[in-house]
Parts: sequence; C-alpha cells; structure tokens
Amino acid sequence: MHFSDLGMIAELLALIFAAYALVSSVLGALRGQAALIASGRRAVLVTAAFLLTAAASLAASFLTHDFGVRYVQEHSSRAMPWYYTLAAFYGGQEGSLLYWTLMLAVFSSLAVLLHRRAPATLMPYVVAVLMGLEGFFLVVLNFVSTPFVRQRIVPDDGAGLNPILQDPGMLIHPPMLLMGYMSFSLPFAFAAAAMITGRLDSAWLRAIRRWTLAAWSIQTAGLLLGAWWAYHVLGWGGYWGWDPVENAALLPWLTATAFLHSTMVQERRGSLKVWSLGLIIATFLLALFGTFEVRSGIISSVHSFAYSAIGPWFLGFLAVVIAGSIGLFIYRLPRLRPEHEFTTVFSREGSFLVNNLLLTGIAFATFWGTIFPILSQAVRNQTMTVGKAFYEQVNGPLFLLLLFTMGVGPLLAWRRASWQSIWRNFRGPALVAAACALVLPLLGVTSVWANAGFSVCLFVAVTICYELWRGVRVRHGHGESYPRATQMLVSRHRQRYGGYLVHLGLVVLAVGVIGSLFFQTKTDAQLRRGESVRLAGYTLTFQGTTATTQQSVEVVRARFAVSQGASAVATIFPGQRIFPGFENQPASIVSITTVGLNDLYVFLAGYDGADSATIQVFMNPLVPLVWSGGVLMLLGGIACWWPERRRTGALLEARQPVPVEVTA
Amino acid sequence: MLAEQQLQSDTRRTRRRKVPWSFVVAGVAIAGAVLYLVLANTSASAEYYLTIHELRACTTCASRAVRVAGIVAQNSVVRNDKTQQIRFAINDQSETMSVEYGGVVPDIFRPGIQVVVEGHLVNGVFQAQNLLAKCPSKFQSATPPAGTSQ
Repeated sequence: MHFSDLGMIAELLALIFAAYALVSSVLGALRGQAALIASGRRAVLVTAAFLLTAAASLAASFLTHDFGVRYVQEHSSRAMPWYYTLAAFYGGQEGSLLYWTLMLAVFSSLAVLLHRRAPATLMPYVVAVLMGLEGFFLVVLNFVSTPFVRQRIVPDDGAGLNPILQDPGMLIHPPMLLMGYMSFSLPFAFAAAAMITGRLDSAWLRAIRRWTLAAWSIQTAGLLLGAWWAYHVLGWGGYWGWDPVENAALLPWLTATAFLHSTMVQERRGSLKVWSLGLIIATFLLALFGTFEVRSGIISSVHSFAYSAIGPWFLGFLAVVIAGSIGLFIYRLPRLRPEHEFTTVFSREGSFLVNNLLLTGIAFATFWGTIFPILSQAVRNQTMTVGKAFYEQVNGPLFLLLLFTMGVGPLLAWRRASWQSIWRNFRGPALVAAACALVLPLLGVTSVWANAGFSVCLFVAVTICYELWRGVRVRHGHGESYPRATQMLVSRHRQRYGGYLVHLGLVVLAVGVIGSLFFQTKTDAQLRRGESVRLAGYTLTFQGTTATTQQSVEVVRARFAVSQGASAVATIFPGQRIFPGFENQPASIVSITTVGLNDLYVFLAGYDGADSATIQVFMNPLVPLVWSGGVLMLLGGIACWWPERRRTGALLEARQPVPVEVTA
Repeated sequence: MLAEQQLQSDTRRTRRRKVPWSFVVAGVAIAGAVLYLVLANTSASAEYYLTIHELRACTTCASRAVRVAGIVAQNSVVRNDKTQQIRFAINDQSETMSVEYGGVVPDIFRPGIQVVVEGHLVNGVFQAQNLLAKCPSKFQSATPPAGTSQ
C-alpha cells in the first residue's frame, strides 16, 4: 500500500463525513434534536481529520519521492531541496484544490469549536452551508481532479518544479492567497445561515465581522506577498501589473473592505443591512471567481495556468451559489428594514457610505476590465483587452477620493456634523496639506496628480495623528503620563486604533505607489566589460560575468560596481539561475539595492560569455514604503481582529463616555 | 381596519423613500464618475486582440495599437546588438508575420515559445512596442503544447 492509496481513501471518507455533517445538521435543526446537531458538529471535525490525513499522505508521497504518483512526478524531482519538494504540494491544480479543501475543513472546525456558545439556531445552518461548500470541493477532488492518481510506469526522477516557483516567496505566497480566498467562506456561511433562519439581528453580525477581519488580514498578507514575489522574482521592475490573476485576488479584498466599513454603520445605526449582506455575498462570489478564474483559462493572462476539466464544474457551482444567495436574499428582504434613516452625507455614516460607493466603484471597474475580453467577445464578436493604463486612469482618481474620505470620515460625528466642528477639526490638517501642495512643485514634483496624491496622503496622516493626540491629551489631563495615556487609549479602543493603523498603513503604501508610478526611471544597456551606464545619478560599471554550479543549478552572476558621483555605493550581482530540465527558462536573480527610500533595481536580461551583458536598470523611488505600509495594514487588521481580553474592569471602562468622541 | 393598515404601510413607504438630497447628490456624483471613467477609458485604451489573418484584413488598424499572439518561428530570430533591435517571425494556426521590436526581450524569449506582441502593422512588418512572453504555465511544469491555449 502506498501513501497515495491512503490519501485516496481519506479523501473519500472526508466526503462521506462532510455529507453526513450537512444532512444531520439540517435534520437536527428542523426537528430540534440536539443530539443530531452535536453529531453533525463532530462530523466536521472528523472531515478535517481525514483531510489532514490525505494532505499528510500527499506530503509523504512528495518527501519519499514516490514518482508512481503522477502529481508528484510532474511537480518535483530528486534534485530539489526538501522545502521546495514540500511546496510543490500546491504547485499544481490538484494539490491546490486539496489544500483549499483542507483549509476549509480546518476553518470550519475552528468555527465549530469557537462558536460553541453561539445561538443554537444559527450554528447548524452555518455548519450545513460550510459542509455544502466543502462537499462540492470534495466531489471535484474525489472524482474530477485528484492528486493521488498513480501511473503504471514509475520513472526514476520527476519533472521538477517550474524555476520561477523555486523561490522563498513560493513557500508562503500561494498558500496564503488560497487560504484568503477560502476564508471568505466563513462570513458567507454565517450570512447564509442568518438568512435561512431569519435571525438578522446584531448577534450574527459580530461573528461575521470577526471572520471577515480574519479573512481580510489573510488576503492582505496574500496580496502583499504576491506583490513582493513579483517584484523580487519576475524582473520587470514593478510589483503590480493589473493582470487578471492579480485583479481576481484584489476584488474580494475590496468588497470585504467595504463590508467591514458598512457593518460599522449597521452596528451603530442599524442601517445598510441589505447593502452589507449583499457585500458579503458578493465578496464570497468574487473569491470563488478568483479561485476558479485562474484555473479555468477563461481569461487569458500572462500567467497561463493549466487548462483543465474543472472549469465547467466551477461555473456550475458559481451559478448555484449565485442563484441560492439571491433567492435567500429576496426571501428575507422584508426583514432587513433600516432602524434609522440617514440625515446628511456630512456625517460619519455618510462618509462610510461614500467610502462604500468608492470601493464598490473600484471593484466594479476592476471587474469590468478583467472580464472585458469576454464581454467584448460576446457583444462585438471581437476580443479586446484593456491594459494597465485603463486601471491606472480609472482607479487612480477613485483611490485618491477614497484616501481623502479616509481622512475626513473618522473625524465626522455620527448623524450630523456641524460646519463648526468640521472647521475646527480640519483646519489644521488642511493647512498642512495645502502647504505641502505648494512646496512639492519646488522639490520637483511637477505632476498635478502626484502632488494631489502626496498632499492628500499627508492630510490623512495628519488627521490620524491629530486624532490620536487629542485622545492622549485628554487622558494626560486626567493625570496619566503621555506614554501611559497612549498605551491605555489604544488598548481600551483597540478596534478603533487598529483601524487607524490600517489607514496609516494604506497612506504609507499609497505614498510608495505614487512614488513608483510617477517617478520611476529606467534604462536598458548592453555593456562590455569596463563600460558603464548611468541612471538617476548612479553609475553602474560592468566588471564581468561568472558562472558557477551549485547543487546542479547553474548560477550566472554579472558583477557591477555602483557609484554615486565619486563615492562607491555597492557592488551588485544580478544574475540568472538555470535549473536542470528547464534550460530554456532561466529564473532571474534581481538585484535590488535600497538607498534611503529608493530602490535601484537591476535585472540581467542576457549575457554573452564573460565580457558582455544586457541589463535593465530601474530607479524605483519610494517602493520600500509599499512594503512597510503593507505590513502596518496587516498589523492593524490583526489588532482589530485580536480577541478582547475579558477583564472585570474592562466592561466598566467601556461604558464610560469616550473622551475622544467628536461631539457636534 | 384594513384602510388603516394600508395607510400605515403607505406612510412607512413614503418615509423610507425620503432620502436626504446630499446623499442623492453624492451617490449620483460617485456612480456617474465611476461610469464615466470606466466608459471613457475603455474606449480609449481598449486593444484589439487579433489573429494575423484578421490584422491583415483590417483596414482601420493602422491608427491604433493591436495585440497579436503567436509562436516564435524556428530560425527566424535575428538580433541587431548595435540598435538593440530584434527581428523575428511569429506563426499562428494559419499564417506567419514578421515582427520588429526594440528593447530588452523577456528572459524566456526563444523560438518555439508563445508571445503576445503589441503594436502596429507597417508595410507588412509588425512594429512591436511591447513584447510579452507567456509564462509557460505558471503552475504546471510541462509547457502546454503549442497552439492549444487561447
């Protein structure tokens, strides 16, 4: 018996138990039998255990180099180090599918365990919806696309993994993104269960919010890692190309962000219920679309994935989920009346609504651009595509407005902000931003858009700092030292300041994006030994190429001395790695030298012997800010998500009026 | 009784419909801006994806950039290192076309791989501004057989 046989049996048993969990939860809920419901919950844990067994079997097949398993043979080889051999687990479609299914089972188990005390009417349906989704993936996994297929002839060695994937980024980026897509199932399951049971009060809202925050954070990490990987491995000088695959990952992130904001209005004012529910359903559908789009080949992309039989399955599933959600939604529409009416757009809820419109607007534009080839083919019988320019010109201004709203919103009062308070809160930040807008042209920022972008970023940053400062000052006035006041303020209102941290991170990231978008310079050069090329004040002198072989991988490194004026800055070695079996697909070793906030990005495009090299040199200003801003956003997301510590004093504290609240 | 209920539901409905004007203005402005940006930029930056045959038959294509996909033909690549120009031919299912491109070619460019070129057809030679090499299947080790994609 091979490990793969064990895996095959385990995934079949997982399907049986998932189906059992679904049926027994629904029956238990309908008949009011607690024993059946409990049995269904335990079946979820069993499903997860069997999937863990299946995953462990696949991992074991990889690590024991069992090339009798076709999937192992196609994605790994003996020469690969153990960590890439293990990462090859999700190097292909079948393994990715197994990973997705496993993660859904693990998260479902977590939900079952964490929400033991949740309303007894809701949980059986949450379990049922989750197991319904799980069941679909398990059917595909068992009967359409399984990684455990054996081949009769066992080759001595495998084909190996695509070179560009043999990178540390590969170890975490794909699983993170797949986990992100998957994790939107949980808020969806809660929303669907709330609609089925009709319990549309605020209890389900809190659970959905927490799960959405978790999913949002995972997706943020996935997007960041993707950008990081593209920047460090692909060698085209950028980190985001508005490729369909990237857009697919961004879409659920955008709608989830909108949802996180709209639920705040729902929690506080009881309005926007229909809208929020619609957003969370849309988020899940977009996550499914993302999982499926990259694997189906319906949209052509520079990343071409393997085309496979799972396309129609996913399309059918998508149709079922859409039809089911819309049906439930219409059925429950009468129960979703708002408790309060909106008064004016110049209020906190008004700014949230604007934020939501902008985020969905960006999502719509991105979706439109992504499926435009299909649309134009269907309507005009002519495939047309829109490129980077489209996304930049459409989403650029919308993101700028979004940033501005982000600065304004948190300082507006609920219900209605008076002009007086608006003036009092914003004159400081507005003055700073205006001064910035006047000074920037003197520093060489001639583009109006870049100037507006930087100034708005500064405006938002100042409003956030000002807000924090006012809170600290009030506490300081009550006799706390400044550090203590800051710490207390932030820990008492972690959600609020976590949100601000996300905003601050986005501002920092936006500065990085604007910098690299408007001020990137590049040059191509073909150099002989001793020749040099200049870019943005830096001189790169070519000093020859060397080739070595490390563990059967041929590594070519070109040596360049980088200097600025008379002073030497660094010696860099951009290069290529040539993997056995993939001689015509060298993987680049991009050289990135960070000087201050600027990246000198050098890509070895070609070489001819030891004395001739072709390089592309980019000066990418402010790109390091993209990463640090992204990390801040992630930390902020985790801070919002992190469970509150239950302390006896905490409740009392929370009831006291918040000193920082703006009163109109 | 019934009339009263009717009245109540009517008042509720009218109250629900009362949306403050500032919301209407903001909503319409944002929705309008999104639609305008999307539509204006779609027509401005849309590129035709044509086959070689369609491109040759197209009479209006000289004025706008188009994309053409094909396989780089064997023994057709001629590099001019002085001007950093590269000249090659691409095939699709039926026809062959010469392409000229200036600038650095992607890592994986070589005869037999699938490329997408972006540019204009000038006197029978395609002047490419952009050259994209399709990553031979990101998540699959084996290169898909030529001509099966798209």
